[in-house]
Amino acid sequence: MVYSKNDWNKLLKMFTTVWDAPSGPQMFQHCHLFPRALGEVAGRHNVQELHVTLTEGLWRYEYWGFPVSDAAPGAELWTWFRNDTKDVDNIWKKLTGALSGLLCASLNFIGTPNSLSPEYSFRPTGVVKNSNLNSSFVRYATLPREIVCTENLTPWKKLLPCDSKKGFASLLNAGHIHNTNYHSLGLHIRPVCKDAKCTEVSIELRQTVSLVYDMMILGFQNQDWSLRKLFGLGLSGPCPLATSSFIYVDVTSNETGTPYQLQPEPTEVITSIRGGYESKFKVYNIQKMSFTHMLNIVATYSTPKVYAVNVPPVLYASRYIVGYGQERGGIVTKIHNNHWKHLDIIYLENIPWFLPIYLHTLRVVAGGKEITPILKKYVPGKERSRPYSLEVLLRIPARSVTEIYIEFDYVFLKWQEYPPDANHGFYIGSAIISAYLPVGKNYMGLPQAGPTIYSSFNASREGFLLQLRTESLIITLPTPDFSMPYNVICLACTVVALAFGPLHNITTKRLCMKDGNSCNGLLIRLKSMLFKGRKPQAQAH
Amino acid sequence: MDSLVFMEYALAGLIRFWLLCSDYRQTVADRVEVSTPLNSWKRVTEGAFLYNEGINPYDGDLFHETPLGLFVFKYMIQRLSQWLGVIFIICDLLTAHLLYRTACIYMKELIEKQTLEKSSYAKDTQGLLLRNEDLKLSPIYVASAYLFNPYIILNCVGQTTTVFTNLCLAATYLMMVKGQQLPCCFALAMATLQALYPAMLVVPASLYIAKKNTCGMSDRCSQIYSPWATCGLFACVLFFLLYFSSQLSGSWTFLHSTYGFILNVPDLRPNIGLFWYFFTEMFEHFRPLFICAFQINAAFLYLVPLTLRLHEEPMLLATSLTALTAIFKSYPCLGDVGFYLALLPMWKHLFNYMQQGFVVSCFFIITSVLGPIVWHLWIYSRSANANFYFGVTLAFATAQIFLVTDILFAYIKREFSLHFGLQREVNGKAAKLVLE
Repeated sequence: MVYSKNDWNKLLKMFTTVWDAPSGPQMFQHCHLFPRALGEVAGRHNVQELHVTLTEGLWRYEYWGFPVSDAAPGAELWTWFRNDTKDVDNIWKKLTGALSGLLCASLNFIGTPNSLSPEYSFRPTGVVKNSNLNSSFVRYATLPREIVCTENLTPWKKLLPCDSKKGFASLLNAGHIHNTNYHSLGLHIRPVCKDAKCTEVSIELRQTVSLVYDMMILGFQNQDWSLRKLFGLGLSGPCPLATSSFIYVDVTSNETGTPYQLQPEPTEVITSIRGGYESKFKVYNIQKMSFTHMLNIVATYSTPKVYAVNVPPVLYASRYIVGYGQERGGIVTKIHNNHWKHLDIIYLENIPWFLPIYLHTLRVVAGGKEITPILKKYVPGKERSRPYSLEVLLRIPARSVTEIYIEFDYVFLKWQEYPPDANHGFYIGSAIISAYLPVGKNYMGLPQAGPTIYSSFNASREGFLLQLRTESLIITLPTPDFSMPYNVICLACTVVALAFGPLHNITTKRLCMKDGNSCNGLLIRLKSMLFKGRKPQAQAH
Repeated sequence: MDSLVFMEYALAGLIRFWLLCSDYRQTVADRVEVSTPLNSWKRVTEGAFLYNEGINPYDGDLFHETPLGLFVFKYMIQRLSQWLGVIFIICDLLTAHLLYRTACIYMKELIEKQTLEKSSYAKDTQGLLLRNEDLKLSPIYVASAYLFNPYIILNCVGQTTTVFTNLCLAATYLMMVKGQQLPCCFALAMATLQALYPAMLVVPASLYIAKKNTCGMSDRCSQIYSPWATCGLFACVLFFLLYFSSQLSGSWTFLHSTYGFILNVPDLRPNIGLFWYFFTEMFEHFRPLFICAFQINAAFLYLVPLTLRLHEEPMLLATSLTALTAIFKSYPCLGDVGFYLALLPMWKHLFNYMQQGFVVSCFFIITSVLGPIVWHLWIYSRSANANFYFGVTLAFATAQIFLVTDILFAYIKREFSLHFGLQREVNGKAAKLVLE
């Protein structure tokens, strides 16, 4: 669990739980700590790597830096299947159905009409047998409209070995967690090497919860925070089945910003230098502490709050829709590069099939000048069967704002394809920007080698993989009148009959001259008998 | 007379050029009445761009031109991008000229036929007969009706591919009246390649060519043989063009994007036709039934009956089939409507028998003005809803139906009057004309 405090009065919490399970043909039949339900789902569907996140809220990169693990608003699911999988689409549909049952989320709405196979944006994070990657085995889908609540938290907690009875999971109180600005549940499965020689592969499951609290909303008068304030109760002890159990509090800003005191005293203090940036952590080793009463970590501030100027991170992005009316519009993504050098990024756009985009209108403008993408991969969408997938590799110049602009048309759907609240709009999932950052500023992500926060300390590499997710968008498609099916059919068929009648008459009848009286029909003769004295009307053609 | 016609061409070209260079070009090109998913130039640009990027344009859902069209348009976009507007204007003027030549030849034939049959006409029908001035006036009216028709001008300025379809159709008409079998079949096959519905015109074309070529000879055998030969030739040329297209694109998948798109109507974007709202509000269960019903209505339903009735007058048959197609096809546009409106002055001798001219012209004017207004209210102001625009398209279709049926009624009434005289008397008593 790691706390990080920054100037905007928000606290961030994340915790990771890790297990090993031996791999092999019967790998999920003898489970000890690994949750069998999840294991069977992963095993039956030939999954090599699986990442599911359920998120509510948007991560504000500009103010909060980079998260430990990133997630798009709503539900997001991406999977690498094994190389021997046949009929990936079928298995993908079955997997989403099984996961939706496991997590009580509507993941069963994911299918081929809203899944993509991105080629560059999603690489396996675990061990692979050979480096020949075939992107037809990866599937990515997102449901931006999904919400996450207690219903998802409970089955998620049940997957932990200690359930919610002992350990950090006992802190996860749904009433407190889902009151936050940003909360995200994550489930990540990947194969890892069992030993240094990597002769055997085992499966690692990592479950994450990311939370961002806004202390003002919680109604506290001062900026002091504690476990009890955040979660409603203190920690009663570690999970007995855990190998290690730590709480890390990020005190890097303690020297520069408003200082605070932590009680009780931490077990140790670690300084981590990563990518040229130094961070300081105060560590509580839960397993070494004695629990005569509930542990409550309290931070007290001695001076009033001072709001400092925000220094945005190296890379952040935002996305919005331009255009007016419901006929055509455009999507603009703005990427801010605050680094002193140019950055290479991969921009993945996941556009649903009901928003046809025009590739020839794609324009990338950086600092007033138009730049050509290095690489473009575009899979055009098909109505009702495939979304539009656009991957662009760009080199964005230093200290600039790059705008990526593309036009689209609004589509007119069949009346039964509109959701119950048709004027709420349709959601478009977030775009994903992948970059390899050369510096570790604001970077909290886990390295590939290890799954715990501890492995991220002093883990300097040549580059740090970052994936940003932008906002998800809503557009309101033009709606027909839902009360009109019968009327429309009648009116349209009437117009067709208006043509049929006269043409039928012209083609099957001949013009002839008839005497005025003799060409009366029965009805007219009846009428003339009833209204004597009036001239009978001859039938007009 | 010719100088008048050339002046008309120059003026019409100038109007189109001025509109093309103005700010309104993009507005016109974006309007749903002018560009449909089948003829929109934006989609052609997208298809050409995808092809240049190495992506198959038929993989997605946006591009609906044939590979032959893709090849030609790609060349136009790449090499002739500055002259694009001028190419459209030239094609439009060429279409007008082809229609003018068609009208000239057809009026001459009508007058010749009239001279031949004069003896069989009733005595008091002098006022109904064609005069020699009509030989000069009607073609000029036809050319003007095409050149200065606002629908055609908007179609040209919007840079839709209907300009090319109209050119092929006009070429078909010209070769048909000239009686040249192979060029007629080729032009018709080109028009059918782009929009499926002109295939019906093979029937009036074969009838006309058979009549034209055998009017010298009285050989019964060749009278029966010639229409079938024309149909067979048309089928061969069409198949050859489709095969050539499949070779250009590498497979037959383009058929799903072109003919499959026209027949299945998957895109429900509003246009001036009847299909879009009908299939928006359709229950899924009944969709195949109504698709078949509507397509039969648009294509085949009136072919056999009208052929049997109008086999003596294949030109009128061709015009009415073109008009009915333009009303009932799956993605009509203003260019289709304007084309058959330009053919109508060839029958200006029928105009005094038309009863609904005033109603029809009022309908046309009102719906043409009201359509964009209610579209703006629905899509931009969000204050109206889809029913308004649907009502306007219904009224427009009704007006066109009244026009076509009126012309046909006028024709049969004139025929009757020519043979039986203008008097409406039976046994000395006043009588009425009745269809029975």
